[in-house]
This record gives sequence, structure tokens and C-alpha cells, in this order.
Amino acid sequence: MNVIRQLWMQLFRRLPVVVVVANLARVAAVYFAFRTWDGSPRMMPLTATLFGLATWIWHIGQGHLLRVLCMPESFLLPQFRRRLLEYGAVDGLMWVLVPTLVAAALHAPYLLLVACGSLLLASLGLTMGANRTAGLYIWPIFVLFGWMPRLFLEILEQALQSPLTPLLLIAASMLLLQLSIRPLLRIEDREPDTSPLESTSLGRTASRSIPGELRRTGAFTRRISALFDRASQRAMDRALAMYEKYPTFTRRMVLVRRLLLPHDNPEAIALRIAMVAVIVGFYFFAVMHRQHFNPVIIGGYAIMVSVSRFPQLNAGMVRMRPNMADLYLTLAPETRSEYQKTISDALIVLVPISILTALIYTALGAVLVHADDPWHMLFVAAIVSASASLAALAVHLVGPEGMTGRRLVNAVLIFGVMGVYWGGYWLVGWAGYVIGGSVLASITLGFSFGAWFAAQREYQLRSPCFDTPIG
Amino acid sequence: MTASNLAAAPSASMPALDLAAPAVLQVRGLEKSFKKRQVLKGLDWSVPSGRVVGLLGRNGAGKTTLLRCLLGLSPIDGGSIELFGDPMLEPGGDRMHRVGFVPQTFDLFPWMKVRAYLDFTAAFYARWDATLVDRLLNEWELDAKQKIGELSQGQRQKLAIVRAIAPDPDLLVLDEPVASLDPQARRAFMGELLALMRAPGKTVIFSTHITADLERADADIALLRDGRIQFTRPLAELRESLRRVVFTRAEGWSHAPVVAGALKSHVQGEQAVLLIENPLLDSLHAFADRENASLRVETPTLEDLFVELA
Repeated sequence: MNVIRQLWMQLFRRLPVVVVVANLARVAAVYFAFRTWDGSPRMMPLTATLFGLATWIWHIGQGHLLRVLCMPESFLLPQFRRRLLEYGAVDGLMWVLVPTLVAAALHAPYLLLVACGSLLLASLGLTMGANRTAGLYIWPIFVLFGWMPRLFLEILEQALQSPLTPLLLIAASMLLLQLSIRPLLRIEDREPDTSPLESTSLGRTASRSIPGELRRTGAFTRRISALFDRASQRAMDRALAMYEKYPTFTRRMVLVRRLLLPHDNPEAIALRIAMVAVIVGFYFFAVMHRQHFNPVIIGGYAIMVSVSRFPQLNAGMVRMRPNMADLYLTLAPETRSEYQKTISDALIVLVPISILTALIYTALGAVLVHADDPWHMLFVAAIVSASASLAALAVHLVGPEGMTGRRLVNAVLIFGVMGVYWGGYWLVGWAGYVIGGSVLASITLGFSFGAWFAAQREYQLRSPCFDTPIG
Repeated sequence: MTASNLAAAPSASMPALDLAAPAVLQVRGLEKSFKKRQVLKGLDWSVPSGRVVGLLGRNGAGKTTLLRCLLGLSPIDGGSIELFGDPMLEPGGDRMHRVGFVPQTFDLFPWMKVRAYLDFTAAFYARWDATLVDRLLNEWELDAKQKIGELSQGQRQKLAIVRAIAPDPDLLVLDEPVASLDPQARRAFMGELLALMRAPGKTVIFSTHITADLERADADIALLRDGRIQFTRPLAELRESLRRVVFTRAEGWSHAPVVAGALKSHVQGEQAVLLIENPLLDSLHAFADRENASLRVETPTLEDLFVELA
């Protein structure tokens, strides 16, 4: 039991926020469950939803924990796999069996479905936590839902009545567990570490590998990564050759950029855009049958995708710290502030890249959905993406380094961008390109330039830090 | 003659390894490649119980790869490994209670505190010497409340050693365990290692470039070169049988002299330096007289041997 207690404690140590949120949802579910007992059966769907949410969140945490625990060295711990299995059994008891018994005591309907649904939610959470690309498996369900919502609801209604549904849910759970856990239990050779600031667009999320974590990549990812690596090597060679020919300040800055941002050279950017275009093209093809496309959503989404690069910048710069000492010594700046300015100047190249990316994605979206007024979308996208990129760079350059703080800032930024795009689209539509555009540009760009200059000043005042992050 | 001759043809005067002792580890035809680069090429190796084995090899020779393969931490491409008499297909089973491992770099669980990490690990083991852990944490000045990510590389190495020896393992595998340690810590570590080895049936395999530690532990020396173990011989045997022979003459040497038993030779200005196994002193003196050279015979240090053979 000591092993199980120790494994259980790891979640509290590693992801306390997940534990708190999941348990708050669970406590709320228990509260409403008692209300149901008191004679308020209408509370039952709310109870089930809250408990489902708690189950899902808790198991995302468990999946993440499993990902960081399953290092090759951990398998030297005696009976490590068996202990994990025992821990899984206890977890199943707590999150599936006991809730089902409570539901039975409350005379809840669809008892078998509740049990199997809990198992599926737990498996889904575990998969999403354990496998960073799990969204690819789950995404088609939402595509189906968006494509043919009526069919989806009909299937759902039929499924509620079918005796085979619990079996299907169990099978789906087993499949998800197989997909999520099996790769973690496989011992593989460590792949060489990649730059924390790389950007292949294969994973747009900010959660990069944890220090010491084994990188698990498939053959496709490895091939794409190799393409990016070759592109970055060629870009570095070109930059070096040019610098050796005429060692100017600008060319030195290009060298620093090639070092810091290996995948932000023209070739790699084109490759990244092409890849996203393929994915987005597939998505639009899949949901083509939907009747209404809101241009605001398409433009907002395009900008959101382009600014999703910036949270990674924050996390990546923290992980790059020990290596930055080498860059500091190579650059040999007169003052620490000069070094900080060099870094912030090097990173500002991400703003035009982000604007270009947002415009290309918006244009692609406009073409794919046959938008009524593509120039309107592009005009607003140009202004909003410029200000959003600059603001995102500013907040992530000096923003919080912790995972929770970074995610909060990112969430605020993304919702802010969506809101500004929506407001800007309406304003330009209402007041025209000249007046509406001028007002939008002066407000958003004024704000973002202000944020950028303040962040740059703050960054230059800070001492460079070369300490290894704790993880 | 090459270094492999040391394994293939041990002289009659040299006591061989105690082959009667049961082998803790038996490796046959081990092959391991990374992409197209073959690191281990049909490696055979047997490690008897109750020995300290120092694994020597140059940078990139494959020491870390070999140690990780032995414990199942790196998948192998061919051959077989037996650990405590059972095939080592993957790390698992009760025998893991008997194995301790110190990796080259310790970068696990940086968010955990030292005490929490040790408690977590202890929970898995049937044997765990908590008194030893507390003593070593105290003596090695490791703060149990500090996060692993905040420890220096040397402190992490100390923690990895504490964690590895606390379960009182029968086989301790250490991958350059002292590389990041200061001299005091290195000495303390060697003291602990020798104390551990006093118990019967304990085996230690460790790779290191600090040959003085191997000399202190009076270890058997295993040389890894060209993807194979070239020989495994007790250090005392090597010392007894190998001599560094220096011929000096004013006019220098156009090429190194050819002498029976020479394993390695090179010319350095006026000197011809040879590493010779079981040299015949009379014949060396005769050769020196014939060539009008002076002769100096030295007992090589382990570092000299490593430089010459690896």
C-alpha cells in the first residue's frame, strides 16, 4: 500500500492545481448528489456532469504523471509495472466503482452506462494527459459532431437504448488505454534533445517535453523533424557564410536568430505553413457541409494559431537558460543590458512571421469557405495580428514563468485576440476601411506598442539568468 | 600483438579470474547500433560474483550503452544477456531488488524534493537501509528538503549513489559515478563502495576515467574497444605482467623496435617506448647492447596502461 500511497502523492506534488480543480468538481458533484437524495432528481444530470468533469480532469493529471514517471530508469524499480497496475485498479475503484455504487443507491437511471461512461472518461483523460498528440484520435468525433450534428444526436439517442453501448464504451476505453499506456511502458533509446524554441507546428500547444522526459516520436514526426532540421542547418550555413563575408551588425543578428529560433527561417516557415494548410484544408473539407461560416471565427482562429507560438517562446527561453551562457560569452556584450537588448531584438522577428502566418491562414480560410468579403477579413486580420503578436511577445518575454501563470496569461491573450478580432470586424464593417481601420489600428497598435516598449524596457533592466530551470 | 591478446592468451604465471564463482552477468554476442553506427559488435563478457570491475574505454567507446543494455534500459539488436542466471529481456521481476544503478547524469523528477524522492523509491524495495540513507545525507551534506532540480550536478550524483546503495544491492552498476564529485566526496564514495564490497557476494561494475579509484578498489579491469570487451583481468595481474620498456639512444629511432610480447610501441625523439607483456629481461638487455641503447624498465600505472591500450 505504501507504493500506491507514494504514487498517489506524486499527483499532489507535481500538479496541485489539477488536484484542486478535480476535487472541487467532485465535492460539488457529491453536494448535488445529496440534494438528489433529498428529493431533487433534476440535480442528477448536473451531478453526473460535474463528476464526469472531475473524472476527466483528474485523469488528465494522472496521464501527465504517468508520462513523467515512465522513464527507463523507473523500470529498475522492483515490480514497477505491477505496482502501476495495482495503482490503476485502486484508481478504478475510486473513480468508477464507488461512484457507480453511489449512483445505484440514488436509483440513477442508465446505471451500466454511467459506469462505462466513467471508465471512458477516465481513459480519455488518461490518454490526453499521457499522449500529447491524443487530440488527433479524439478530434474526429468532434468533426463528426460538427459535420452532421443531427446524425450524431440520433446515434446518441439510439446508443442510450442499446444493450451493446456499454460494451462499446468498454471497448473504446480499452483501446484508449492501449494507445496511451502501451508506448509509455516500452523502453526505448533516448532521442537527441531538440531546441526548446523549435517550431514544427506538429504540436501547437505550449507543453513541450519535461526536462529529463523521454521524447517519444513516431516515424512521421521524425521525418518531418528531419526536414526542419535540414532547413535550419542550411539557413545557419547561409547566415555563417554571409557573416564571414561581411561581418555587419545585421548579419550578426541574423546569426543569433538562426541559433535561437532554428525553425524561423524562410524555408522552415514555408514548410510549417504548408503543413498547417494541409491540416486546415482537411478540417474544412471534413466540415464543408456545415451551412454557416462565421468569418469572425475563421479570422480569429487564424490569429489564435499564429500567436500560439509565443507561449512556447516563454517556456523555451526558460529551458534554454543554461545554454544562453554560452551565447552570452560568445557575444561578449559591454553590459548585461546590451545582451538583453540583443535577445529581445532577435526575438522581434517573430512578429512579422506571426503576421504573415495569420494572413496566410486567414486567406486560406477565406478561400476554403468561399467567404463573402475576404478583403474585409484580411484587412482586420492584418491589424489585429500585428497588435496581437506584439502584445503576445511582450507578455511572454517578461510574463510569468510558471506553467499555471503562463497558461492563464495565454488564455487571457487568446480570448482577448478573439474579442478584438470580433470587435474590429464589426467596426470596419460599420465605419468603413478608412475610419474603422484607423480607429482599430490606433487603439490596438497603440496598446501593443506600449506593451512592447514597456516589456522591452523591463527585460533590459533584468539581469540575464543562466540557471537551470527546476522543471 | 594487440590488447585482445591479453584476453586470448593469458600467461601461465598470471592467476586468472575466479571462474568458479557463479557469473552474475553473462553476455553473448551483444550487438547494438544507433541508426547506422554500430556501437557494440558481438560483445561477449562474463562478470563473476564478488568482484569490482572497472570498465575502461575511450570517449564514445560505448561504455554507457553497454551498461544500459546490461540492465535492459536500452533495447539490444542481437545477442543475449543473462542477469543472475535469467535472461534479461527487460528490467523486471524480483531480481530488480538486487540491482542498484547510478546513471551518468541524473535528471529525473526535478520537481521532487530529495526526501520525497527517496521515500518514493524506498516504497518499492524489500530492503532499504534508512539508517545508511540518513547518515549519507548528513555526511554528504544533502538537504532532504531541497528540490532535485535545485541540486548541483555533483549533489545529484551523490543522491543517485545514495539511492543506488540504500537497497543493499548484490549488483551495483555505476556509470561514471565520480565524474562530478569533489575529491572529498569521491573518497567518501569509494569508502562506501569498499564497505559495501566487504559483504560476501557483492559485485560492482563501474565505468570511470579516474584510474586511481580503480587502483584503490583493486578492481578487475575490463577494456571496451572496437565494440568488444578486449580483456577482463585483475589489476594486480596486469601490473605484474606488463612493463613499460624505454630504449634510449642519441641517434634516435627510425621505427619502434620489434620485441617479443610487445603490445604497443611508439618512438618519442631519442626514446622508443614499448608496453610489453611478461618481458624477458635478459633478451631486452641483449637487444639494448646490440643497438647501443640504454634500457629502462618501469611498472606502468593504470593510466599508462589505459593510454596505451584503449
